[in-house]
Amino acid sequence: MTNFGIELGVHIASLRRYARSLLRGDPSEAEDLVQESLARALSRADQFKPGTNLRAWLFTIMHNVHVNQIRQKVSRPVEVPVEDVEQRLVSPPRQESRVELRQMSRALDELPEEQRQVLLLVALEGLKYDEVAEALGIPIGTVMSRLSRAREAVRVKLGAEGGGAHLRRVK
Amino acid sequence: MGGAMAVLPVQDEELHAYVDGHLPAARRIEIEAWLARNEEAAQRVDAYRAQAELLHELFDPMLAEAPSEAVRALAEQLNQRLAARRRGWRGWLNQPVWRMAAGVALLVAGAVGGFVGNEAVSPRQPVPVTRPSFIQTFAEEAAQAHTFYTSENRFAVEMGADNREALDSWLSEKLGRTVFGPDLSGFGYHLIGGRSLPAPGGGAGAQYMYENDDHRRLTLFVGSPQGGQEQAFSYAQRGDVSMVYWVEGSLAYALIGQMNHDELMSITRTVHQEVKAGQHHASPSTATPGTDPMPPAIQPAMDVQPKDS
Repeated sequence: MTNFGIELGVHIASLRRYARSLLRGDPSEAEDLVQESLARALSRADQFKPGTNLRAWLFTIMHNVHVNQIRQKVSRPVEVPVEDVEQRLVSPPRQESRVELRQMSRALDELPEEQRQVLLLVALEGLKYDEVAEALGIPIGTVMSRLSRAREAVRVKLGAEGGGAHLRRVK
Repeated sequence: MGGAMAVLPVQDEELHAYVDGHLPAARRIEIEAWLARNEEAAQRVDAYRAQAELLHELFDPMLAEAPSEAVRALAEQLNQRLAARRRGWRGWLNQPVWRMAAGVALLVAGAVGGFVGNEAVSPRQPVPVTRPSFIQTFAEEAAQAHTFYTSENRFAVEMGADNREALDSWLSEKLGRTVFGPDLSGFGYHLIGGRSLPAPGGGAGAQYMYENDDHRRLTLFVGSPQGGQEQAFSYAQRGDVSMVYWVEGSLAYALIGQMNHDELMSITRTVHQEVKAGQHHASPSTATPGTDPMPPAIQPAMDVQPKDS
């Protein structure tokens, strides 16, 4: 019986995308983060309460694993040129969007990690604010202020570089 | 400004909640009216939405990459562990989709006096805490898959319908049986693609997704039933989403869409005719009459939404 099959599959796809967007440089590093997170989830499966939020539980585990990994590697910051990342991420390149995508990619890089996490979890993964609060272990008010600052910072960057004019109205 | 309209002031937090789709409909409409008179806020909303679109454009392509073997294996183990934990837990019966399926089980038991499998749930029993039968699980999963993937714009389908034969043969290979996406263009629904999903019982399932010009979506979920017992049409409804499911020959089907009973039933007839006839690419003017004018024994339409919600 695979009652969780579809739901878990969706969440794992989401974890993989989030890991990739968070660890921009190296796809294998992102996959390692997912792998270690799933291994930990497996070892703690008995602590998951059926009927509670599986997605928030998985993202909480991944966040904790990520924090531990950062502690372990704090001496080795990884810098990768934006262009390299785009080469890998954007395939095939959409001609009309290249400038905007490059700007978005750079704006994301320039955000403090704590804001980047919130923006990605909300805007890319579609987590609810209370799920983000649970996953990151912060109050919901902090989620909102980080989200607000992140969105404004990106808006200013995209606008200042002339990209704002091209952003079409999305109904 | 805007003293004439009694709209509560819109806080920054609420503007984000609006962008992220977390507001109730009534407040959403109020905020849209307010945005129409507030150009600066409207520009922010547009910018925030554009940011989300760009993030999807940047990162959705990786979803097409297969996970590593280690990740795949761990996911499978985790799936089994979590499913094992969920069995026998009463709390999960409170999940809306499950309650819907349980309600359907009772409905079918009451109407037909039996149920596929060997459950034979008596309507007098207050809560059927038995193992779900194949068709219950199938209906539940089809509904879940519908909800998950119809709300996704960029990740809705795994393979597009540009080449229908390629799509059909790919999904047929996954299922180990010949399946195809029936032509529903006569109803204004166009096949946009499909995806392969795990189905109850361990095999693969196929989800075909259709969309009409209003961007309303319809999904057809196909899986292999255990035992191969045929099952008459059952109808379930939750909110404005309707579902019909049945077992025919060696395959189980669930057709789900945001539409009323009559509309879904008309489409069901066509789907049923096409899959029975095995027509691969029927003309838009529906299947030839006479093959099977009426599906057998459609259950009475009934809203099985839980009474307490």
